[in-house]
Amino acid sequence: MKTDISKERTMSAETAASDPAWAAHLVPWRKRTYAVIGMCVALVVVIAVATTVGSVSIPLSATVKVILSKLSFLQIAPTWQSGTDIIIMEIRLPRVILAGLVGAALGTAGATYQGLFRNPLADPYLIGVAQGASLGAVAGFLLPVTGSFLGMGVVPMFAFIGALGSMAVVYALARQGKSLPVTTLILAGVALSALLGSIVSYLIISSGDKMHSIVFWLMGSFSLSRWSDVRLVLPYMVIGIGVILLYSRPLNVMQLDEEQAQQLGINVERLKLVLLAAATLITAAAVSFVGTIGFVGIIIPHAVRLIWGADYRFLLPLSVLSSAIFLILADLIARTLLSPTEIPVGVVTALFGAPFFLYLLRRRRRVIF
Amino acid sequence: MNRFLRICFLVLASLSLFVVSACGASAPAKTGASSVTDQLGRTVKLDGIPQRIVSLAPSNTEILYALGLGDRVVAVTSYDNYPPEVKQKPNIGGFSDPNLEKIVSLSPDLVVAAPIHEKQVIPELEAKGITVLALAPKTLDDVMSAITLVGQVTGTANKAAGVVSGMQKRIKAVTDKTDKLAAGQKPKVLYIVWHDPLMASGLQTFHDELIKKAGGVNMITDATGYPSISLETVVKDNPDVILAGIGMGQGQDAPLKFAQRESSLRLVSARVNNRIYGVDSDLSGRAGPRIVDVLEEFARLIHPELFK
Repeated sequence: MKTDISKERTMSAETAASDPAWAAHLVPWRKRTYAVIGMCVALVVVIAVATTVGSVSIPLSATVKVILSKLSFLQIAPTWQSGTDIIIMEIRLPRVILAGLVGAALGTAGATYQGLFRNPLADPYLIGVAQGASLGAVAGFLLPVTGSFLGMGVVPMFAFIGALGSMAVVYALARQGKSLPVTTLILAGVALSALLGSIVSYLIISSGDKMHSIVFWLMGSFSLSRWSDVRLVLPYMVIGIGVILLYSRPLNVMQLDEEQAQQLGINVERLKLVLLAAATLITAAAVSFVGTIGFVGIIIPHAVRLIWGADYRFLLPLSVLSSAIFLILADLIARTLLSPTEIPVGVVTALFGAPFFLYLLRRRRRVIF
Repeated sequence: MNRFLRICFLVLASLSLFVVSACGASAPAKTGASSVTDQLGRTVKLDGIPQRIVSLAPSNTEILYALGLGDRVVAVTSYDNYPPEVKQKPNIGGFSDPNLEKIVSLSPDLVVAAPIHEKQVIPELEAKGITVLALAPKTLDDVMSAITLVGQVTGTANKAAGVVSGMQKRIKAVTDKTDKLAAGQKPKVLYIVWHDPLMASGLQTFHDELIKKAGGVNMITDATGYPSISLETVVKDNPDVILAGIGMGQGQDAPLKFAQRESSLRLVSARVNNRIYGVDSDLSGRAGPRIVDVLEEFARLIHPELFK
């Protein structure tokens, strides 16, 4: 849906009462601001719930006490069962935080790609990042190398290199002089994905006893998340998401089309380059540690668009928050549904997310892009 | 392309079925042919004593060798490694994806298969008129029945009876001691199959049976097979002994290192009391005669005071 933003704002007040379809689309400013605040509160609540609930049941009071006791200015005597603080502080909390960060990254990257390419089917993996990361990770599993670099294990490191490498190849293939035609970029990405995907498939079937680990990684899992992972991922996320949020206004203008955006004073080529780099970087960082979790990056931005409209100044922050909440909840389901058995989180995102999205789609039948 | 191949395959398979059934109709039935029921519940018609045997699983190979049938084994899988001389035998590909052409070209009169071959490989071999015996042991008793069954089919019933009674004696030597233990004397044992994702041996596995027979209690009590479990369950359930499978792939001891080093396990009693041991995962998962060796090893690790 290509909407003139200024028109949208003036229309929203006038048509809201008379036409319910438009009213749903053109959400008033006040409501969208409340939505951002509400989602921030929801995120905090979800983090608290996800840290309390798990295959081992721990009372909320103990969870709160354990977390508060880590704050140096509070003196709280340990009244909880031994091991509880380890479960909360070293197993669950880093896992919940990492899930939130990865969710935020995938949702933001998805929204960015969709806006940049003006294509509703764009997701963070469209231009080869996922397959590049997968190939890197599989190589990490299969090559007889061990050790770590800057606290990064072999698999995440190779995955990160693979993701950035495939992105660089796609970019180099698609670039024509100084411009970067979006269609060429997408096609190059799709073709490279197919190529890398076939190599990955072959490596998987010939991987013997490592097959299970590899398949589990590809479906995505937070099962061994640590604070060190959070520390490594955090800077990429903060910088990447921060940069993208700064460009939300130009992204709105980009929805007209590239030529008009150029005439309105936007340096389109630079915008594309900066946003591509930022979105790819956060996707690569996310995917490297937890595997190629699908569905979040394509569906959450659309869900946000369905509920709160297509203005990128709100779409982006709301995607950050909703995706973080969604992935934390998905991981919560993954580790508690069949407790003590864990299911790959990538299975849960689509299994529970798709019906919700289809419900939204049915409820608000209108063009969403 | 894939679809095309599949259609070709189906056409060939149905043609070969037709040819085989036509031959079957015309050939006179031999007298004295008996039949047995294998461990997948299939009726296997026997026609004389097999002389050219193909094994489709390392555990099957070990059973055949234990019965002194090494000379009659014409091919094994690429995963076979015991007894060592088995590596000289021709191989028919992997365990899960054996090469049918290769098997047929060896013209075996008996193929010893596993449950993984039930849906695709076994029907295909049978369609080509090859006798297939499937072994599917899930418990120690099943392993001994499998040995008896192979003995019956290959005319080595006496030898099989000897192997089985030897195994029974060694199992009894362990359980005689462990059966007397009170519930409080049985340590809680966790068997880690793999660390990333963290996978443990649950109910209805050999490890579960071996842990129990060796005088332990399996920490996993509510999941079957090899579930992925969360680290917090281990911290909470606090196992007294951790056995970590090692030797997967190229001699990797990653699960053992994980159990020894993972910082969130530092208060778990197996770690505190230094009772984390590596166990050869290749051997401990192999349903052959050497499963008794594994039982004795588990017993020594879980109850060092009883088994010196």
